[in-house]
Amino acid sequence: MTESALESRVEQAAVRRRQAASLIILYGILLAVATVLMGTFMFALLASLKRDPLEQPFRLAFEQIHPANWVVAWRLGRQGSGDAFWGGFGPSGDVTFELTYAAPADVELVEPAIEVPRRRPGTGMAAAVYRDFAADHIVDWTIEHAALEPFEVEVDGVVTPWQRATWTIRFRHDNEGPRIERVPLTAEAPLSQTLVDATLPPTRIERRGRVASWENITPGSLGYVFNNYRRVIKESVDLNTGNSLFVSWFKNSFFIAAGRVILTLVFATMAGYALARLRFPGNRALFMLLLVSMMIPVQVTFISNYLVIRDINLLNTPWAVIMVTIVSAQVLIMKQFFQSIPKEIEEAALMDGAGYWTTFYRIVLPMSRPALVTVTIMAFQGAWNDFFWPLVLINSPASAFTLPVGLLSLRNAYGGAGDWSLILAGAFMSTVPVLIMFMLFQRYIVDNPIASGSKE
Amino acid sequence: MKITTTLITALSLATTPVLASDVVRISGWGGNDLVVVNSLLNEVLADDIRAAGITVRYEPVEGDFAQYLTNALSAGTAADVFYVDSFWGAPLFRSGAIAPVSNANQAVADALIPALNEAFMYNGQLMGLAKDFNTLALQFNKDIFDDAGVAYPTMDDTWHDFRSKLQAVSTNLGDVHGICVVPDYARFAAFALGTGWSPFNEQGHTVLDDRFRDAFEFYTTLPDQGAGVMAADVGQGWMGGCFGDETTAVAIEGSWISGFLRDQAPSMQYGTVGIPVHPGTGERGNLIFTVSWSVANDSQVKDSAHKLIELLMSPKAQQWVLESGLALPSRESLGNNPYFNGTGQEAEISRVVFNGASDGYVEPFAFAQYGGDWKSIMDEALGAALLKERTIDDAIRHAQQQFDRLTGR
Repeated sequence: MTESALESRVEQAAVRRRQAASLIILYGILLAVATVLMGTFMFALLASLKRDPLEQPFRLAFEQIHPANWVVAWRLGRQGSGDAFWGGFGPSGDVTFELTYAAPADVELVEPAIEVPRRRPGTGMAAAVYRDFAADHIVDWTIEHAALEPFEVEVDGVVTPWQRATWTIRFRHDNEGPRIERVPLTAEAPLSQTLVDATLPPTRIERRGRVASWENITPGSLGYVFNNYRRVIKESVDLNTGNSLFVSWFKNSFFIAAGRVILTLVFATMAGYALARLRFPGNRALFMLLLVSMMIPVQVTFISNYLVIRDINLLNTPWAVIMVTIVSAQVLIMKQFFQSIPKEIEEAALMDGAGYWTTFYRIVLPMSRPALVTVTIMAFQGAWNDFFWPLVLINSPASAFTLPVGLLSLRNAYGGAGDWSLILAGAFMSTVPVLIMFMLFQRYIVDNPIASGSKE
Repeated sequence: MKITTTLITALSLATTPVLASDVVRISGWGGNDLVVVNSLLNEVLADDIRAAGITVRYEPVEGDFAQYLTNALSAGTAADVFYVDSFWGAPLFRSGAIAPVSNANQAVADALIPALNEAFMYNGQLMGLAKDFNTLALQFNKDIFDDAGVAYPTMDDTWHDFRSKLQAVSTNLGDVHGICVVPDYARFAAFALGTGWSPFNEQGHTVLDDRFRDAFEFYTTLPDQGAGVMAADVGQGWMGGCFGDETTAVAIEGSWISGFLRDQAPSMQYGTVGIPVHPGTGERGNLIFTVSWSVANDSQVKDSAHKLIELLMSPKAQQWVLESGLALPSRESLGNNPYFNGTGQEAEISRVVFNGASDGYVEPFAFAQYGGDWKSIMDEALGAALLKERTIDDAIRHAQQQFDRLTGR
């Protein structure tokens, strides 16, 4: 091997090492970013299932994700209403619930004071919606007591004898009233007595340990795990129609996002193609004007836009939000993409007798799928997450809000009472459509058919 | 025959009362108020509103209502009737965008608690009618006091009694603090005003005198004295949060805490008494938090707007508001309502909060044209003293300098 050939091999090896190092660093960064993003997503999902998403320290294992509790919730749901998934308490409801208390052997174990309180779930609009209470429809209330084997507790080497007993509560629906979504329960016992087991873990321990409290003892398995999600849909209601506001907000956001996507695609492709291909006086000036307009902050033009929309009577309509920001950077993306398409392809189409419109519609647009998908995703994501314009342009009625503004109203109604679980569930649901969009269409962004459209 | 029929028809149409009604747009914030206003309009007052020839369009606003209102008044898109918070009302009153209370509604104004009307006076004119209000009161957790073997707080407690009880609770139980304090004038004022100090003197200046220092020292040293803790140190942002999770024995909040406790601590056994009295003056201090129904000056249906407010403030409506437990009505005569004699804890908190509006040295939660600028100076001083960033005298001296620049001296 000559000296120059050897030097060449050494250089190639060094280049490969550098390339490998670059790839490792790049993929490492991408993996780290993905882990952080997905980790955040997973934490948000877990927190949205908890009763108290702000609990400190954050627990990864909590009641709602224990399969044993799903089975119990399933059984209780079926007992309460025949609906094992979403539970409730309705005609034919016959529920059995057990509580086991323990106390030192020298302390009397007394029957806990059981109550099904007339308790409304949450605050805000729910206060006006819930008018039926399980307590008003319970008959045949029985409590049975069974002493269990004594046991011993060792603390710091000192063994103390303890006793325990289980109280079985059974109650039935009066068979005439409505199906009620939840059956709250409280059990009050002296401080000397400790709740050691229950059919379902208590939602909270109150009054410094005196009271064990359950929000719903007939939840059904899905109702148990996804209670916050059920609440966000059922408790945010239009007080005039009784319809779920959250569902309306979802629909409004979809409608506005779809409208923005369609209009953005139409304007961005046409304007982008014109700027990329058509030669006319003022072409460059128009392009520069477009760039300058993109640099103007929305706050500068907000008042004039608002007044225009007011004067054409579009305030408080989805059309105002759809039309207020149709095109911006998307025109730039399309222009750059169209410029990357070899002119020969269009010239070949023209030679075959196609007009400008046919070339654009039949040849250029189908080849622009990656750019179109990118613009679609960007426009959808921008419209879906837009907060400013819907907040300014749609004030009333509540059923006309978009999701971000609706979530703000939930925060106003429930955040003051520290009821964050419902708000977080709503916020989590609002992220899902964008995520699905990215998952479905990301391959189109990577895929680029232009390379196969022409020969070098 | 045909002519006769036509004439009769024309005559009957001319003598029939006009069926067309004025559309009055009303606006306020959303949240829990949605329930109150919606129920008032659709359940309690529906017939009266119809009889008055008014059609109401209710437009609750989410987000920053003050900002919305400023923008809407500027753009001419504001509702005819809307809320004005006493805290940020002065700049709007000064702008001329709000119409004074009409002569027809003077009788309603006269029936309200006088301190509530003071909150909406501007240049000698009443600019809105207080739709409801809140004051501060002392809530205490009965289980905590029982477990600690300490007597419950009472209406007659002085500051010293109050602090001693909190210290005893904290010492006897170990795992509970007396109170969690926040660097917020909206709570500290309960003590500052009790000394006889006033946020503005007769010249309109803020002077932090010895009376103020007395309250400032008492409040900011509660943690040092073993009677309290900073709310942030127990992971909370307000006194109600500490109280709700039983970290503290007492809280100083308005009746809004009852909704929070109903949700977060539904089994809690709590009582409510007035703010402790200052040992020197023998009086308690308090703030009034209130919101008015006001009318836009450029409303095209001003008469109907005033009429609608009259209905919304009628005894019938206020009685419903009181009994629903959603807010406290502003008519003075409702102080004798049987609801307040109830033995339940929510009736008790309503009674104490209602009476708080006319008990001792009471000021509206409003700071003339200075608004948030005034309050932020006070909050900064409280924060600096509680966090030991400044000594008490240093914090007061620094705040005084800032007030001198803001309000003059």
